[in-house]
Amino acid sequence: MSIHPATCDPAVLELYLEGQLSDAEQARLEAHVATCANCCTKLSNSAADDSWWQDASRFLPTDDWDGPPSRQYLDTVAPDANLDTTTDRRSLLKRLSPWLDPTDDPHMLGRFGGYEIAGVIGEGGMGIVLKGHEPALNRYVAIKLLAPHLASNGAARQRFSREAQAAAAVLHENVIAIHRVDQSQGLPFLVMPYIGGVSLQKRLDEEGALAIPAILRIARQIAAGLTAAHAQGLVHRDVKPANILLERGVDRVTLTDFGLARTVDDATLTHSGVIAGTPQYMSPEQARGDAMDGRSDLFSLGSVMYAMCTGRAPFRAETPFGILRRITDDAPRPIREINPEIPGWLESIVFRLLAKSMGDRYQSAAAVAELLEQCLAHNQQPTRVPLPEIPPFPQPIRAAAPPRGRSLGTTDLRYRALWIALTIAVPLIAGIALYDQFWPRTPLPLNTQATAPTAPTGTLASESFAEPDAGSEDTSLWHDGVAGTLDDIQATLRQIDTDLDPELAQETQE
Amino acid sequence: MPELPDTRQTLLAKVGDSSNPEAWREFTAIYRPAVYRLARRRGLQDADADDLAQQVLLVISRKIADWRPTSPQGAFRRWLATIARHAIINALTRGHNVVAEGGSGVLQQLQNQPDRDTSLADIEEEFRRGVFRQAAESIRPEFQESTWNAFWLTAVEGLPIEEAADTLGKSTGTVYASRSRIMRRLKDKVQELEARQSEQ
Repeated sequence: MSIHPATCDPAVLELYLEGQLSDAEQARLEAHVATCANCCTKLSNSAADDSWWQDASRFLPTDDWDGPPSRQYLDTVAPDANLDTTTDRRSLLKRLSPWLDPTDDPHMLGRFGGYEIAGVIGEGGMGIVLKGHEPALNRYVAIKLLAPHLASNGAARQRFSREAQAAAAVLHENVIAIHRVDQSQGLPFLVMPYIGGVSLQKRLDEEGALAIPAILRIARQIAAGLTAAHAQGLVHRDVKPANILLERGVDRVTLTDFGLARTVDDATLTHSGVIAGTPQYMSPEQARGDAMDGRSDLFSLGSVMYAMCTGRAPFRAETPFGILRRITDDAPRPIREINPEIPGWLESIVFRLLAKSMGDRYQSAAAVAELLEQCLAHNQQPTRVPLPEIPPFPQPIRAAAPPRGRSLGTTDLRYRALWIALTIAVPLIAGIALYDQFWPRTPLPLNTQATAPTAPTGTLASESFAEPDAGSEDTSLWHDGVAGTLDDIQATLRQIDTDLDPELAQETQE
Repeated sequence: MPELPDTRQTLLAKVGDSSNPEAWREFTAIYRPAVYRLARRRGLQDADADDLAQQVLLVISRKIADWRPTSPQGAFRRWLATIARHAIINALTRGHNVVAEGGSGVLQQLQNQPDRDTSLADIEEEFRRGVFRQAAESIRPEFQESTWNAFWLTAVEGLPIEEAADTLGKSTGTVYASRSRIMRRLKDKVQELEARQSEQ
């Protein structure tokens, strides 16, 4: 679905300079430039004319008149998101073991809350997700535990239970059910169905852009699920392809991790082995730490739809900092430029969802679900069902200046980026290896998102692992346990804000 | 009300507005090092130059309330330059006694070399440098270290492309491409800052 950069094409060079090429296109261009003196010159000239290059070499080097490094303003270390953490691979298991009761079943790790624990699905900022077997009903379930270090925090415990109960009250076919909210040995937990299938993230990774009917069907169901949740006053806050499960064979969507992410608001997570993901699907208001509502989820839905249309997230950059900056400031590359098969009306819908200002978006998930329903009907029977009226959404060419005084300040952004970088560790990757290594004879269905925050395709790659144990033939995937990703970041930032300006932070907190 | 043609929140309002620390931070990040450098160029030592930079910023923060957006574009920068110049000269004059004890005071230098006076052109240059550096600083975290280095080594430090490619273990194509991409972003950012700073 991607355009092939014709060699020496000025338009492609321009896209490259604007950071709008896909990884593959970018690699191709760089390979070409290495052998084409003409393109080298053209690139330099179109980037900026000579006077700019001269100014850069004149103004940027430090010289005798500069203050000591402590007072210089170019001493920022770029937060490189490729943090190589030497996470102790055994730590998760060790941390978990005190809460597991012994079991008689040699294939199981232990017992928790009456379930036989078959494995660890993932670990997120908020807790650990276990795969459990419920003997009485002979079914597999996913058990999400509040992380032990959070369980000692009263506010976090309350929030976890409250949110879990709120999420449990959302009964909708497109929202994951919650069987039980309880606690065992002082750890609050909730139990959900164990769903076989793949996440939308995995499907995008494997297939790239989806066909139009699939895009509409999936998006409509996400909107429907959001409608049900918003009706209960619940904002998801972490709508992203990794949290959208697709059942095999059908485009049946289950939205996971509803509202639960907020639990981490109540705790400071700067110290813990938190996994955070990429902020690629965050809304601008969320990136800025402003108040959010259901329309923030709609922005994220827009990003997800963009990814389904093009095979890639709309806002990409080399670092989380860059992503946040683009979310708040930049217009994404037009969809039809990447995938000409997408009709203009669909692009308009996506761009309206991606409006920087909440007021410019569709105002409710219900409206979006309804609209997509009609579009789907039209798509299936173009001659009998007319396309609903979709006014074209003005396509910003490039970053309209961010709203004054609302944009992320450089300094704030830098702190954010730094902390996001710090929290984007890769314990999950370690986790995969860990469980493989530790129970080679009982391979665990460890499905998880490994973050690759700096990869510009930027992906949470969902891996699913074949499950060899009897009775479960599926390649199953459960959602991540990367719940709380966004709020980890927010919580961390809030802490930083507090450190920097206690009064201000106090005001902004409820 | 012809003298108040525009009610939108101006940079100055924001800078003077204590509830908008971000605007002030950006402002000082650009102008404080600029004033510091001007003072160093006039022969002040580090600590004195730093004091002076602080004083000038203080003066500006007080005077900023007096500025009336009436004039054409760029007027604010000129106004700022004038204030900075006066503040620098004042500070040097006030320092006369202390400096004179040292024998070769800055004021002496100033008097002996009238042609080395801090000119508005010098000030403009340092302001521009301030904007460039602030722009570079603010975009840097958007790029990976190696991409950034491809730009820095070649465009700023003047290393030949091949040498930089060797040092970084990258192809020359990647170095060419990376540095151009950053140059574009830098240019956009400088223009954005310039626009914001000349906003009245």
